[in-house]
Amino acid sequence: MLESDFQKQNRFFLNMGPQHPSTHGVLLIVLEMSGEYVLDPQPVLGFVHRMHEKMAESRPCGGFMPNTARMDYVCALPYNHGYVSLIERKTGIEVPKRAEYIRVITSELNRVASHLLWLGAYLLDLGAFTPILYGFDDREHILDILEDITGSRLTYCYYRFGGVYQDIDDKFVDATRAFIQRLRKRFVIYEKLVTKNIIFIKRTENIGIVSPDMALRYGMTGPNLRGSGIAYDVRKNEPYSVYPEFDFEVPVGAQGDCLDRYMVRIREMEQSLRIIEQALDRLPEGPVRAKVPKNIKLSPGDCNFAVEAARGELSYYLVGDGTSTPYRLKVRVPSYSNLSCLPELGRGILLPDLVSILGSFDLVIPEMDR
Amino acid sequence: MAPETKNFKEDILFHEFNTTETDYNQRGYHLEVALEVNQVRKFAQKAYDEGFYLVFVTGFHVLSEETAEGTTSGLNGVYQFARYDRLYRIKGQVSVPEDMSLPSICDIYQGASWHERETRDLYGINFEGHPNLKPLLLSDEDRDFHPLLKEEKKLKSLEAVSWTPEALESVDADAKAPSSDSIDS
Repeated sequence: MLESDFQKQNRFFLNMGPQHPSTHGVLLIVLEMSGEYVLDPQPVLGFVHRMHEKMAESRPCGGFMPNTARMDYVCALPYNHGYVSLIERKTGIEVPKRAEYIRVITSELNRVASHLLWLGAYLLDLGAFTPILYGFDDREHILDILEDITGSRLTYCYYRFGGVYQDIDDKFVDATRAFIQRLRKRFVIYEKLVTKNIIFIKRTENIGIVSPDMALRYGMTGPNLRGSGIAYDVRKNEPYSVYPEFDFEVPVGAQGDCLDRYMVRIREMEQSLRIIEQALDRLPEGPVRAKVPKNIKLSPGDCNFAVEAARGELSYYLVGDGTSTPYRLKVRVPSYSNLSCLPELGRGILLPDLVSILGSFDLVIPEMDR
Repeated sequence: MAPETKNFKEDILFHEFNTTETDYNQRGYHLEVALEVNQVRKFAQKAYDEGFYLVFVTGFHVLSEETAEGTTSGLNGVYQFARYDRLYRIKGQVSVPEDMSLPSICDIYQGASWHERETRDLYGINFEGHPNLKPLLLSDEDRDFHPLLKEEKKLKSLEAVSWTPEALESVDADAKAPSSDSIDS
């Protein structure tokens, strides 16, 4: 973009947020603008910073469980999953197979709920009001299903060291199967309503292209990375829990624009449904909670555990010191690394395209700020 | 297709550094690299050339020690890298010298920029060569407040929080013995 002298004199700063609807939370982006073009977008974080890592250092490891759900409140169960698996790896606790199946089923349901919320919110950013009503309608079914067994609708604390809080019942299985049938029919509607919509395609195709090298330099993961054609999914590449027992694909995009990231998430929902279906078919009998010592001691030394959250790779890095309280707990969250490429990606683009890019990144601000 | 975990050449790749292979099933990563301050950038460059992506940069705080080179600050920088194409995680750890500064790697991995700003906020480690080391998660007024620095009485030595093969068994034995220690605060 060539700037005339007039434009050079007329550079100005624009605050996008912290209450801008398309930032999906309290995120501020300071934009240096020239006319309608963005010259330098600089995100400002920390509005909902709660210092979860300090809280982890000040209580026995079991007491941190509720905190995990309050980082990514949209997709809390994978955060539960990562933390319990970390402590189980550290202490060598064996988990009953049925419990791992239940964890996978509920985590995948939560992932679908998260993607449905993103679908509605993204299209709302792009000016389409109807899809969010459809998306929330479907998501409501998942929240009802999960509320019955976990006791909460959003900030779940359902997993326990060595298993899950309680067993699932026939009602859960029937409701989940019915929901899968329902959502498969709804995908047809979404495709007609959104995917082939010419306005939607114009707003997303060739916008915000993330190259594989750029993704690597910023450590991007999750659907944002897979949109660029790299088939990296922690569930496949670093198998945990019982994921290796299921047959599912890792959808990838071609060139890494907003449309690719959209398509990856839509196809990922279908794969999640496949995983849930297989898990329900093969659900083993048995206990859902192993016997674990009341006072869990974390041996000296470090330990890492990575899981695939809805937005990408979530890593917990723990340093133990022989007591039951973690000496250090680092939480590596996906949105943080994903958004950090914005100053490079958003240079020289139109302001409406920046809104499209931010939406396609599927940001959850409390997760980044921790 | 299950990813392979054996017969990689990564452990040879980092032969110029002080590396230790680790048990993935117990610790969640494959290679531990003990770094000197002047090796940090070389290590990051090597990781980038070989196609690793940056997982995170962070720190942790232990008791400062007297070494042959002088007193350490007690802070440690931790770098983790992993691969998109196969399962291999490496962790680099470096002891921060008394002047509290480490070389920045954000010209090699641009994604390290935010991680380094966060580590400065939480620990006060100064990353030399970082173009924009402003507070990120904390506010400007809290520039000199570093919440993850531990109080003197809670600090432990680096050995006390380092992994040893015997560590796991010793904790098991403690758990069975009648416990007289409730160290939790």
